Amino acid sequence: MHAPPSETGTSAAVTGAAMTTCFGDTDRTVDALLAGESGVAPLRGMDTEAMGVVYGYPIADGDESQSRASGWLTGVIRDATAGLELDGRRVAVVVGSGLRELRSLERWHRDGAAFGVRQLHFDEAVRAALPGVAEVLTVSNACSASGYALAVGMDLLSADEADVVVAAGTDSRTESMLTMIGKIGDELTAAVEPFDVDRTGVLLGEGAAAVVIEREARTPLGWIRSVGLTCDAHHETAPDQAGVVGAMRDAHERAGVTPADIGLVVAHGTGTALNDPTEAGALTETFGTSRPQITAIKGATGHTSGGASLMNTIVALTAMRTGTIPAVTGLRTPIEQAAGLNLVVGDAAPTTATLAQVDAFGFGGVNAVTVVEVA
Amino acid sequence: MSAPASGQLPVPPVSVTGAAVHLPGLSAADIPGGPAEPAVAPAEAYRVLGRKGLLAKEPATRLAMCAAQTALGLGIGKVAGPVAGAEGTGVVVASNLGNVATVCNLVDTVRTEGKDGVSIMEGPNASSNVVASSIALRFGFTGPNFLVSSGATAGLDAVRLGSLLVRAGRTHRCVVVGAEPDDDIATALRPGIRAAAAAVVLEPDADGPRLGTLTRSADAPTTGTVTGHAGETYGAEGVVELATAVSGDAVPGSVSCGDHQDGYATLTVESR
Repeated sequence: MHAPPSETGTSAAVTGAAMTTCFGDTDRTVDALLAGESGVAPLRGMDTEAMGVVYGYPIADGDESQSRASGWLTGVIRDATAGLELDGRRVAVVVGSGLRELRSLERWHRDGAAFGVRQLHFDEAVRAALPGVAEVLTVSNACSASGYALAVGMDLLSADEADVVVAAGTDSRTESMLTMIGKIGDELTAAVEPFDVDRTGVLLGEGAAAVVIEREARTPLGWIRSVGLTCDAHHETAPDQAGVVGAMRDAHERAGVTPADIGLVVAHGTGTALNDPTEAGALTETFGTSRPQITAIKGATGHTSGGASLMNTIVALTAMRTGTIPAVTGLRTPIEQAAGLNLVVGDAAPTTATLAQVDAFGFGGVNAVTVVEVA
Repeated sequence: MSAPASGQLPVPPVSVTGAAVHLPGLSAADIPGGPAEPAVAPAEAYRVLGRKGLLAKEPATRLAMCAAQTALGLGIGKVAGPVAGAEGTGVVVASNLGNVATVCNLVDTVRTEGKDGVSIMEGPNASSNVVASSIALRFGFTGPNFLVSSGATAGLDAVRLGSLLVRAGRTHRCVVVGAEPDDDIATALRPGIRAAAAAVVLEPDADGPRLGTLTRSADAPTTGTVTGHAGETYGAEGVVELATAVSGDAVPGSVSCGDHQDGYATLTVESR
């Protein structure tokens, strides 16, 4: 039985992980990232002209009669827990979502689709995969929701209120959120281009991710060292560098690491006018002269909102385990604020990193930064 | 259906140091924890909060702000800048239906008028966590900020989460709020729901009643409903019950929330 690497004993072993994206399952997604593929495609089944958003990174299952976010959630929880011995153990599931089943609400309201209030949270979707689970908690924390969910999971393990926690995140596109994205954008966005000088904005991705954590494990997939949480309390939608830096420092402090220990950052990198310079500034401020390799996946997967943080966590653990970091899809020429950053541009890069930082920032200034360690 | 489960709360103790109930139309004479005069409706929230900063704020957000401001003992009127102890203060809000009307209205508008008919002011409301982040913004709270939307047990789930954040050392003070609206969409989804908010302030080992043990059950608990006054408050229920219990003479005791589909949560509350 391996003890956690942290002297403080607050680390958690990762014993299962799975995601589903526009590319497919975890393996397919990792392959696509390494190959520099993009999942961008025209959105179907919605009036894209009225919304002012034509493209996205959809999962091409197309069947909107189903609760898609719930379905993907059930799938990743099933995959992430496959083969784990859970009988007789206190299993808690914490689900993070930005948009919950609001797409099903929209279809109920406008199209007469069947819908009940219980679908807005994910109790049934979780129990479809894990019928015996002790408790299910849904947190709606915008684009950092699954990072926030992971933080709750860490605290539940530390407080000995659960033996196994499944932290998960899921989101499908909604007409209402796409409309607001279309409203805000000056020009039509055809692809997400994180940290690029020519970026035009964000596009929504779809999918779900789940990570299983326990206090210890024989053969962990990796370790969650910490999750730092802050709220900017600065602006309803615009990010604030001080709040973002605060979350990074909280994560480092909780993990007992210094910036120089961290070899890889999987950035939030949404390709918006505001996020990318703010995040680049925060990374520059936090890391100073140490220059971790930095990548971001939203140019390939779109912004998957609720699942985004845990997808980045899985990408970070995979990159450290395999020694290869995917490049930032969609990035050609970095913005001025990122000039001092060691962004992986062009081709996948080798790495010897053993500790990585994962960024997630959401509407309302809700920031969750995770520190993960290779097994 | 929920399997029975329980967890220990809390070591070290977590104390309730403030509480307020804001049920429009009801005063302290009607429900412990209520205001001296009948609580104002969302449209008149400016009477508690002042006029600044309420534009485009949804009804649940307005009620949540009223309850939080009162529970924090901040009196009536505008809050100028971050309040005392704001840095690092956490916020956990329980709400399921806060933005469902906004989402439906946005879709109505885009399908009839396109995006040009949509107000940019509604942007933040498309994201479900707007209630929680709005409280952070108003009072300057930079600690962890959660929206819990776990159905009928959301209120006590939020209290439990707030307690966990305090015990984990993530915050020196956590404001836990329950809030739901009673618009047409909310009412269609949850018949009989009434607009409601309540708030409690949690701090480690302070003067005030202490949070005890949280228990989950599939069946309705035989004890634990303090009020009976509040009616159907759904996600707000657990916080309404706790705020009422600690404001009235119901400690030690227990409070509950839930329904037969989502299951029930019961929290014991002990004397200091």
